[in-house]
Amino acid sequence: MRQPGIYSEMLSGGISGKTGPHSLPLARIKKIMKKSGDDVKMISGEAPILFSKACELFIEEITVRSWMKTLQGKRRTLHKEDVARAVIETDIFDFLVDVVSDSKISCDKIRATSS
Amino acid sequence: MAELGHPYKLQLGVQEFMAEAPASPGGGSHESGEQSPRSNVREQDRYLPIANISRIMKKALPANGKIAKDAKETVQECVSEFISFITSEASDKCQKEKRKTINGDDLLWAMATLGFEDYIDPLKVYLNRYREMEGDTKGNPKGGDGSAKKDVTGLQMGHNSQAHLMVPMQGTE
Repeated sequence: MRQPGIYSEMLSGGISGKTGPHSLPLARIKKIMKKSGDDVKMISGEAPILFSKACELFIEEITVRSWMKTLQGKRRTLHKEDVARAVIETDIFDFLVDVVSDSKISCDKIRATSS
Repeated sequence: MAELGHPYKLQLGVQEFMAEAPASPGGGSHESGEQSPRSNVREQDRYLPIANISRIMKKALPANGKIAKDAKETVQECVSEFISFITSEASDKCQKEKRKTINGDDLLWAMATLGFEDYIDPLKVYLNRYREMEGDTKGNPKGGDGSAKKDVTGLQMGHNSQAHLMVPMQGTE
């Protein structure tokens, strides 16, 4: 039913139907925004809507970049380590380095194996 | 406003998020089983639903591609971090300009500043499309306050001249 493309979710009434025309729940996005800092008090109605799409783009990008790492390893299942490698090798994902390099994965190890 | 009474309310931001994330009961490096590597107490406050994230991820992969649970959870954490990252930058800008409400333009500006300029055009298209649909079905935009409506027009103008939105970047550090 759904066609791939920018507007597919919007036109077909959302991925699950529960989120309205958006593929991610706006109330949850707003909550996460408010947790970003003490100064975040007022958020315009459009901000979470914008984020619902931005997050989708972000997820697609990080997934595709991670998948390339999966393929490089001649595998068919995308693992956390692939995400970590993609993050480390992508400049705009620098802010995520701490997220992917928790106790389980050593940053240096990934760097060593991927280079 | 639904967060009133929330113990963490507006208090622990990114630090809290990052401090709790590595709290793993297992510690194995290939956990694709049912054990979640996080405490799930506040999960619904800190993350977007994993089912939605999983769906978007699958869409980005070829049909034969599989995604391990640990990868989904990592992306889930990354998305929350992304929202916080952009929001903080937009919030700083609002503070400098002595405005109280973070609007769509602030977020677009923050994304452009932080390296996500590729997202700007699709986002503007999305927003315009959304407004058209809202206009068709409800007769008026859904924006909760005056500033949201104001930036409706601002962004629609920006649709045709992409550079337009970025003009307010002068004097940025």
